[in-house]
Amino acid sequence: MTKPWHWFAFRPEAPTAAFASAAAFRADGVQLGFLATWLVGAGRKPIGALGIDARAIDPHGEPAWVSLALAPERIRVLFDDPAICQAMRAVLSGPPVDVMSTLVRDPSSIGGAFTAIHATTPEGLADDPFTRVFPRMLLRVERGFVGRMPSPIGPGVQRYAGVPWPWDHF
Amino acid sequence: MPSAAPRPAAGDHFIDFELPDHNGNRRRLSELVGGDPAILQFYRGFWCPKDQASFRELVRLQDQVEVAYTRMISVSVDPPEVEAAFRAGIGGRWTFLSDESRELQAQLGLLETTDTVHRPYVPTVFTLYPNLRIHSVYNGYWFWGRPTNAELAADLRAITRAIRTDWEVPAR
Repeated sequence: MTKPWHWFAFRPEAPTAAFASAAAFRADGVQLGFLATWLVGAGRKPIGALGIDARAIDPHGEPAWVSLALAPERIRVLFDDPAICQAMRAVLSGPPVDVMSTLVRDPSSIGGAFTAIHATTPEGLADDPFTRVFPRMLLRVERGFVGRMPSPIGPGVQRYAGVPWPWDHF
Repeated sequence: MPSAAPRPAAGDHFIDFELPDHNGNRRRLSELVGGDPAILQFYRGFWCPKDQASFRELVRLQDQVEVAYTRMISVSVDPPEVEAAFRAGIGGRWTFLSDESRELQAQLGLLETTDTVHRPYVPTVFTLYPNLRIHSVYNGYWFWGRPTNAELAADLRAITRAIRTDWEVPAR
């Protein structure tokens, strides 16, 4: 069975052996780095990579704006932290986006959140609830990385077997 | 006056219908139930004071449902954008489905024929097993026919006990 998640990382340099990657730019056009994913089970876990819902990634996807909220590496934040649960509730209550996945550091702690829209401007990401928890980068990402997935099915805010929320099946 | 088509009853398997959700995404019932116990609620519309009272209770229940690997789904004949506004207004965080064409309503025999203005659903709540088998049905035409949160919790406990092989705490 295909794993329901991939490994994901933001890299300052072009990644090697990635399943998908794309250059990422600031709103003013300055390139900040690359977004990359690797298939789980295909070799060792890339250093610093986080789990992301596989539906978030499409190697043929259209250009997108990405709100990438990342927890500082030195800080371990539990998925069950009330701030995280409240951010998930806010996602369920908020306007629809094209992609939303939490980023899994280990079975119990969160590494951040990946939210994206296929749009020409980033206004639809102005109220990403995870920006109230983690520092975030607002990135314009080239074609070939961001997929589409239906809005999370509420009201659940618990994950299934440690995979990224909103993955919704045991 | 009830409509003529036979209504789903306890022990039946619910049909795996597909409808647009409050954001316009096509959703299949089995996808929304997703392997968990579920509450499937059909309601008249945002304008009904009885429904508003029922929703206030469901909004309270969602705080428990959200941590209990359980699903809630609400269905009406309102358009998706109306459902989205209602959902936002009450603070609902679960999926609402729109049967604007009333095709599912006819298939289920749940047209409330006494309201010829709105032609809404007969307020009805089903509790479902993950395979869409119906555990209980609550006919809410009269308000006191609707389930309390305690009754829903009892149903969900019974379903969860039946489907979770580790209901009894594993020894190791």
